[in-house]
Amino acid sequence: MKIYCSKLILQILLIINCLLIPIFSANAQQKTPPPPGSAKPIKLPAIIEKKLPNGLTVILAPLPNVPKITSVLTLKVSQTADINNHPGLAQLAPYLINEGTTTRSSQQIKEQLRSIGGSLSISTNSDSTSMTASCLSEFSSKLFDLMSDIIQNPSFPEKEVELAKENSIQARQLQRSNPRFLARKEFQKDIFGQHPYSFVTADEKSIAAIKQEDLKTFASKYYIPNNSLLVVTGDINPDIAFAEVEKAFSSWKLGTQQIEDFFVIPKRDKRQIYFINRPNSVQSTIYLGNTTIAGKDNNYFSMTIANSIFCGSFYSRLTTNIRENKGYTYSPFSINTSLQQSGYFLTGASVRSEVTGPTLLEIFYELDRMRVLPVTEDELSSAKSYNNGNFSIDLASQAGLASEISNCYILGISPKDFIENFPNKINAVSIKDVQDVAVKYFDTYHCAVVIVGDYEKVKDQIKPFGDIILYDIDGNVIPAK
Amino acid sequence: MNQFKRLKLLLLCLTFIIVFSFEAFAAKSLNVPVNYYKLPNGLKVVISEDHSAPVVTVAVYYGVGCRIEPKGRTGFAHLFEHMMFQGSENIKKFEHTKYVEANGGTLNGSTRLDFTNYYETLPSNRVELGLWLESDRMRSLDINAENLKNQQNVVSEEVRVNVLNQPYALFEVLDLWMNANQNWYNAHNFYGDLKEINAATLDDVKAFFKSYYVPSNAVLTVVGDVNSEEVKVMIEKYFSSIPSQPTPVKPDISEPVQTKEKRLVQTDKLANLPAIALGYHLPAQNTPDYAAMVLLNIILQGDDGARLYQRLIKQKEMALSLNGGINILIGNEFDYNGPMLLTSKFIYKAELKADTIVKEFDFVVDDVIKNGVTAKELEDAKVRFRSNYYDQLESTFGKANLLASFALFNDNPNQINVALDKFEEVSLDQIKTVAKKYLVPENRTIIDRIPEKKEGK
Repeated sequence: MKIYCSKLILQILLIINCLLIPIFSANAQQKTPPPPGSAKPIKLPAIIEKKLPNGLTVILAPLPNVPKITSVLTLKVSQTADINNHPGLAQLAPYLINEGTTTRSSQQIKEQLRSIGGSLSISTNSDSTSMTASCLSEFSSKLFDLMSDIIQNPSFPEKEVELAKENSIQARQLQRSNPRFLARKEFQKDIFGQHPYSFVTADEKSIAAIKQEDLKTFASKYYIPNNSLLVVTGDINPDIAFAEVEKAFSSWKLGTQQIEDFFVIPKRDKRQIYFINRPNSVQSTIYLGNTTIAGKDNNYFSMTIANSIFCGSFYSRLTTNIRENKGYTYSPFSINTSLQQSGYFLTGASVRSEVTGPTLLEIFYELDRMRVLPVTEDELSSAKSYNNGNFSIDLASQAGLASEISNCYILGISPKDFIENFPNKINAVSIKDVQDVAVKYFDTYHCAVVIVGDYEKVKDQIKPFGDIILYDIDGNVIPAK
Repeated sequence: MNQFKRLKLLLLCLTFIIVFSFEAFAAKSLNVPVNYYKLPNGLKVVISEDHSAPVVTVAVYYGVGCRIEPKGRTGFAHLFEHMMFQGSENIKKFEHTKYVEANGGTLNGSTRLDFTNYYETLPSNRVELGLWLESDRMRSLDINAENLKNQQNVVSEEVRVNVLNQPYALFEVLDLWMNANQNWYNAHNFYGDLKEINAATLDDVKAFFKSYYVPSNAVLTVVGDVNSEEVKVMIEKYFSSIPSQPTPVKPDISEPVQTKEKRLVQTDKLANLPAIALGYHLPAQNTPDYAAMVLLNIILQGDDGARLYQRLIKQKEMALSLNGGINILIGNEFDYNGPMLLTSKFIYKAELKADTIVKEFDFVVDDVIKNGVTAKELEDAKVRFRSNYYDQLESTFGKANLLASFALFNDNPNQINVALDKFEEVSLDQIKTVAKKYLVPENRTIIDRIPEKKEGK
């Protein structure tokens, strides 16, 4: 009986709703967005900076959102360290240091990680090498022990070295089938020329030439505490965490900092199209841009705002134009990357072959519009809120907070100042500042235009935009007809 | 497997200590606050306060995903997701995005197997904006033929950039599901055939909205730095006047039992190394067998210390990469509701044949069927699983995803606090039993994907 009753009531309710709602709904839904509630202050994480006697900088930033910790060890060792003697060595060495230490085999390292709910990966980029790790917070001391062992005592077992070399050579082949990888590699080469920042990956020959001894020498020479930062975030008590770090890392011996050669950032003399012919492509992958500013540059915040307005956010000019109005692409993008010595602005999209030329036309139009006309007040204030809001979302995650701090260290900025002053710096950007950086860096005259696609399908569309250098998929220049 | 045997003795000593500390740890129960109720129009509401950062996620999950879409309209559920950003009664095309970003937020939507979600993460004092935006498009989709054509183009480019112009073309999901399954709902192209995507009409869009995007087929989740009572008042204001509609009837998505191994070969125009994908049908999520399979998956391929990785990549040096798991690329162990595959994808060396890879794969599986796994392996797998689960709880969106899935599928978002329990109970015997029961050739589909021969090479 009860079941019947409730069913009946439910039916009646449904009928009442159906009858009433249409009458209500004309007035019910508000026509304009509701006003904001009272603003809450951005919660700044506590950032505690310390130093071990061996020179290792340690930053502790509690963020107890889940019972885990995240730890990032950042070394000022670029992927091109020692490139003149051994290209690729600075990339292969970090790949191999967690494949065995003097006291742990590769498999033991992986098993120990699993037993603490841990993960650990090592990567390199144009400025640094970083080990990013996490685990359940109650096992934090075990994670520090592992990280410390891996960075201090890698043994580079012969078998692991050979396998890593072999797989890394095979990986080159794999990368050559990926249009975005091809575009990226060509782009870096075209804007950075002879500067080490042009380097993406070493060739097969260089990798084959690396020996176990080279790896050992490299690690002991370059992986030193007085050139490194250890960040610990997450569910930590800073005092206990620091004591654990001290215990694990104080045995790391102070070394001599390596001085790298200084290179000049080249200046491009004209706009040029670099076309990588990839037959059977159904899209053209377009990457376009030029060098910009280093992370320390005062224009960093103006560039951040300009990039958001152009195509760095979803509701941006280029996205509105070539995606939402014209339907040329799913994935237009732009980024402004700031490195230690320079930076680059890169924009692009993957578009169906038939609209390759029209897309270039719109990208150049939108870049020039940023240079020629001021952005609106509305665009400026939206971009400021967007960047401030997203910064605070970023700081709410352990990995986000750790990576902001590590980036500052590499760029030579105080993490505490950067995080605390971020909103003020963003809010201080003016319409004129945005136009000034656009004039300088949203360059349509000297930019590199990289396209990966089926050349036969699109050649006539792109010729009006500049001279073309044509490559095959392996990077050999072929005659452009 | 030799390495495992060698380690066994040493591990026995360690196990006692480690098991002990796990027990202490497992005793710490989760305590995600869950405030769950339904509006008279059937809309499920979950509010969960989290004051660790001044942000909030507003998410709406509709109980329709790419599994249930109209026949002859593959890819439609996903195309429809795009249409939800094209305008509603009070919000013009693309304005939803503008409002969210101009107020410091991020947003997205995604089409999964059994739901389509829409969400924004905002500074927490803008929670009401998120509710207004989501209520407007739940109440009134306002689109035209021009917008539809525009998004058909955008989605076609999405399919090209993610599938047609990529080596391997997501075959480990799209092609594997199409071949491993027999019921059309599980066996069609989820991303969609370009022809069918472009054939969709405005009437299709309207009919789909009317059938599936109804309050009683949706969950609204609010997670973050807000006050539950204040949010309840806002939800009442924006959502309670949305008319109730009949709840859509779900088609039968069950999958008949597979009785014979399926194998096929595909060629790939854009790849230059061969790949192989294996898919096994999994037991239903609410069974003890499922919990055992989830942990066995971790032991087999959950990280680079796992058995398949160690055997095929490290010891035999046959494969270059292994990507595998449950609900790979589109979700996790909890956010789906229907038949599922356990998948492994290897890219392997050009000079090898697929049979060689399958043989080594079977060697690893047969060892588990015959000898089981070690106590240490099982305990560690539990820790790994728990740790991965916490990763999902770290962000407001990750929590919203679990809460909404549990509410949508089981009418019980409180499961977020107890979901791990049944995994803790899995025994060594169970692991052996499920390996024997599910990891058999009759239950699997294998696709070998080889590069098309290039001229002159």
